[in-house]
Amino acid sequence: MSTRSEARAAKKNAPAPGYDPAVDPLLEIKDLQVGFRTSKKDVVPAVRGASLTVYPGQTVAIVGESGSGKSTTAHAVIDLLPGRGEVTGGEILFQGRDVSKARKDDIVAMRGSSIGLVPQDPMSNLNPLWKVGFQIKEALEANGVAKGKEADRRVVELLEEAGLPDAERRAQQYPHEFSGGMRQRALIAMGLAARPKLLIADEPTSALDVTVQKQILDHLEMLTGELGVAVLLITHDLGLAAERADHLVVMYKGKVVESGPALDILQHPEHPYTQRLVSKAPSLASQRLSARVEREEVKAQAVQTAGEIAAELEAEPEVVGDVTRDDVITVQNLTKVFKLRGKRPGQKIDFTAVDDVSFSLRRGTTTAIVGESGSGKSTVARMVLDLLEPTSGTVLFDGVDVRTLKGKDQLRLRRQMQPVFQNPYASLDPLYSVYQSIEEPLRTHGIGSKKEREARVRDLLDKVSLPTSVMPRFPSELSGGQRQRVAIARALALQPEVVICDEAVSALDVLVQAQILELLNELQAELGLSYLFITHDLAVVRQIADDVIVMEKGKAVEQASVDEVFSNPTQAYTRKLLDAIPGGSIELGR
Amino acid sequence: MWWYVGKRLLQTIPVILGATFIIYALVFLRPGDPIAGLFGEKPVNEGVKEQIEAQYNLDKPFLVQWLLFLKGAVTLDFGNSYTGRPVIDLVSQAFPVTITLALMALAIEMVLGIVAGTIAGLRRGGLFDSTMLVTSLIVIAVPIFVFGFVLQLIFGVKLGWVDPTVGGDWSVSKLILPAFVLGLVSFAYVLRLTRTSVAENLSTDHVRTARAKGLTQRQVVKNHVLRNSLIPVVTFLGVDLGALMAGAVVTESIFNIPGVGNLAYNAIKRGENPTVVSVVTIMVLVYVLASLLVDLLYAWLDPRIRYA
Amino acid sequence: MPEIAIRPGQERFVAPLEETPLQDVDSVDLSAAPESQWKEAWKRLRKSPLFWISGTLLVIIAIVVAFPGLFTSADPSYENLSDSLAPAREGHPLGFTQQGGDVWARTLYGARASVAVGVFATLFVTVVGVVTGAIAGFFGGWVDSLISRLSDIFFSIPLLLAAIVVISIINNIWPERQFWGSVFVVVGALALFAWPQITRQMRGAVLSVKSLEFVDAATAIGASRWKNLVRHIVPNAMAPVIVTATITLGVFIVAEATLSFLGLGLPRSSVVSWGNDIAAAQVLVRSGQHLEVMFVPATALAITVLAFILLGDAVREAFDPKARKK
Repeated sequence: MSTRSEARAAKKNAPAPGYDPAVDPLLEIKDLQVGFRTSKKDVVPAVRGASLTVYPGQTVAIVGESGSGKSTTAHAVIDLLPGRGEVTGGEILFQGRDVSKARKDDIVAMRGSSIGLVPQDPMSNLNPLWKVGFQIKEALEANGVAKGKEADRRVVELLEEAGLPDAERRAQQYPHEFSGGMRQRALIAMGLAARPKLLIADEPTSALDVTVQKQILDHLEMLTGELGVAVLLITHDLGLAAERADHLVVMYKGKVVESGPALDILQHPEHPYTQRLVSKAPSLASQRLSARVEREEVKAQAVQTAGEIAAELEAEPEVVGDVTRDDVITVQNLTKVFKLRGKRPGQKIDFTAVDDVSFSLRRGTTTAIVGESGSGKSTVARMVLDLLEPTSGTVLFDGVDVRTLKGKDQLRLRRQMQPVFQNPYASLDPLYSVYQSIEEPLRTHGIGSKKEREARVRDLLDKVSLPTSVMPRFPSELSGGQRQRVAIARALALQPEVVICDEAVSALDVLVQAQILELLNELQAELGLSYLFITHDLAVVRQIADDVIVMEKGKAVEQASVDEVFSNPTQAYTRKLLDAIPGGSIELGR
Repeated sequence: MWWYVGKRLLQTIPVILGATFIIYALVFLRPGDPIAGLFGEKPVNEGVKEQIEAQYNLDKPFLVQWLLFLKGAVTLDFGNSYTGRPVIDLVSQAFPVTITLALMALAIEMVLGIVAGTIAGLRRGGLFDSTMLVTSLIVIAVPIFVFGFVLQLIFGVKLGWVDPTVGGDWSVSKLILPAFVLGLVSFAYVLRLTRTSVAENLSTDHVRTARAKGLTQRQVVKNHVLRNSLIPVVTFLGVDLGALMAGAVVTESIFNIPGVGNLAYNAIKRGENPTVVSVVTIMVLVYVLASLLVDLLYAWLDPRIRYA
Repeated sequence: MPEIAIRPGQERFVAPLEETPLQDVDSVDLSAAPESQWKEAWKRLRKSPLFWISGTLLVIIAIVVAFPGLFTSADPSYENLSDSLAPAREGHPLGFTQQGGDVWARTLYGARASVAVGVFATLFVTVVGVVTGAIAGFFGGWVDSLISRLSDIFFSIPLLLAAIVVISIINNIWPERQFWGSVFVVVGALALFAWPQITRQMRGAVLSVKSLEFVDAATAIGASRWKNLVRHIVPNAMAPVIVTATITLGVFIVAEATLSFLGLGLPRSSVVSWGNDIAAAQVLVRSGQHLEVMFVPATALAITVLAFILLGDAVREAFDPKARKK
């Protein structure tokens, strides 16, 4: 790059006259308003007056649920609002100059070199068609840091710095050859390539496994600390924010509801919304003793109800299996081997997704299967549900091997065991109304007349605390939490003994997640249900489960009661999972 | 990579076999006596008839005929037409014209379509975008021979810039107007495809990340929008070469070009089965080879495919 | 954590509660009317000018197809060579063809054949494509391999050439056919080699819907595979196919005209069609005279095709908000 263009770029990046980096804030957002234009006249507001201040070298976190405007605020700072978003009021002062009124090429000059971005989803944020090294090199060359051979060398250094082993070889690979964590490291290297003064980290780890998440956040913290880079951290996780940031900004519906020193806010939340968040954040809530006491009560009630129901059921001739057994589900030596295609045609590689897993689910209790992605936990769930054939091993339901059931008996088994899946956007047929979705299982099994079925649907909606007026509505009109309630109502329609929740609360916002967990607890106590609860999040386990199975790479590495796992984990992997729960180390006021 | 090429080559075999079988079955179904047609009104000597039938394998069962045809085709021996000329001679005379015409049309539609589609996609809703959209719709909606005649009338007859017809002594410059006409409809599709693809890619996460790195609009478009957007376009272009060869039937008839299309058309009308089957087989081959090429190009464009 | 001195702009701040009233977590908005995905699409469609333009055109076309006699009293098949290329006169607003037919009447009556070819060929292709594509995508295995290879084979033979071969063969077997016979010969010839496109699209759509969780949920309820396919998978995979079908309809109408140009479309003797009239007028265009004799049916055809393609575009945008202008 010529010296002249360097000089020009330097001038564009220069702070405003009179700006003193020792005293003045690096970034100051004053009463920011952002809206999305839906037509020539209409603007839907997304941020309705947000103010925050970031000093050089500081880490400031914006915490909020989806729709709070936290990401929109961050994107406004770097002028990368999606689609028709625009700043409609307020100021964004970076080193004293207003970004929102800057010229286009001034902003281009500022991106990368003054303000860097680490985006949210590592899977979609790298261009799949270019080598990772090239994409980082671009950042170096565009900002005049280095070019040609020197840039190539720098890329390797940056990748090493971001904690990627074997960086030289990795730089020559494509994104699809990287794991999620590796991609996120590459994105961090990219964001820091031109040594910006401010790094915007937009949920940088929420798509990653907890242990990887911790590693990457630790590394990011170390790097930005060394380089003196200020970080604007966007997150939905209050525990994580408090652990990583000095200053917290809590946003709700486009407004800042509370801000201040991180620890202070966590220990003395004043705004009712913040109070709610603090009390419901799973990472924080799981430390509370109260959660355990409540859970014990639920369990006692559920076991009793389940016993009563079993006694009633025993009298009915229709029921498959022995309903009085203590273990409603027994899994013995369950193994699933997938045949994967190798690099050459005809070549098959065995991949053992589930390796010799045994456990049992006691009637009226909850067993949680915890593991990171690829641990095989969902594969276990699908085999228990008889949606997938095991390679070996058996699943006994009320003492009967589910694979031996055919025809009518298999249908009856289906009635006794129902799933609730993870993705509330995919688990309901978008073309079915709420009523049709919940009625479908009843109709499939020919239960009741039309009138009776309708009454049953009303009753079910009441159980999951949805008004009956949602019956004619379609999934696209409901929020994630509401869909999950509908999915639960559908699962309960056939009065099952067991509900298998496959990451049933993972995709939900914190407060909604807490509500659904409460609902599941209430239903368990009322109906004597047994839950098999599949999750990657150890933090929620304490609020819902009695027994825990920790899975790693297809194997069950630890099986114990929740209390034992939390207080006295025997396996290194379990300890690692526990340590990775964000905010776990924070002392709460009560 | 070579495994991939090998696998794709193997996959083409059933396609070629199946396609020739279908086309063979179709012409075989055609009633009437091809030899009787050859002699017109004159009575046919039984001996001569049998001799000719034997020569064209018409006395053998259908499956055997097909297999004999395949056997010949492997060595580029497509037999003789009913007039006695080797089919391969007819084809090798006509083929170069048509493939030149089709490739020219492909080049025209590709360059114009991608350039116009990219500009339209980058400025969606602008004046250029709207103009191009209307143009592409009209091009798709009006039968191509209408355009052929009108352009022939304007540029060939009224303005006299080009020869209205091509004739036997064809040259690349004479084929420009016919190639433009032939590529017109596909140009509209390429334009629409590129436009949608560019507009979609502009709003992807990785493009936003590229901007966040500090790249200029030019760099973003060049490295991160265009290449990603071209993948579906390349797929279309590959399939299109076969369609262009067939579309040449119309263009060649308007501009009187002695190509494969004309050859096929006349052969179909006259019931010259060996020629029909041979020409269609060659077109299928062109299609299959073009899609193979596209798949390889695809693997080059998209590293994710390379290792799949 | 060390005590940090609070710097200007970072003092403790709590928003007044009245400014950001707390709402119930996840409350249901019951004010709006319930809407299915289809209803929602319909709502977007209603706002689309494209839809209204194409819809109006299609209604007019439908009326012309059903009652061409409303707009003219001339007999379209009556041709008198003494009227050859005669100018417009009372009752014959657009003059005469070279054969002495009434241009206006022939154009009105010609709509029926063109639209019939487009509609029936599309129906055929869509039904075959949806059924084969759904079966291939849902059942996988050898059924999928068989259907996929078959569609590869049919796809590899150029549509136009194949149609020419088929029609020329049928012309030999069945030379004397009336209106519907002729229409269905063209429909068959076009549809026979055009179905693989829909099959491929449907197969892809079914594959992606099949992996969604509501399909597993239905299986867990006890719904049979067939019920699952018919009730959940196929309806959710139909939207892209419908869009393609509307556009294909226009393409078939153009293809019929092209076949007529090559003398292999609908026979002139028994059917009045746009393709025939355009093809018949080519001699005039070559000599550069009486261009209107070709332009009238050509414009009618172009407007019809345009109406279907625009409808396809409008439907696509209604179903896929992503594709709308951002």
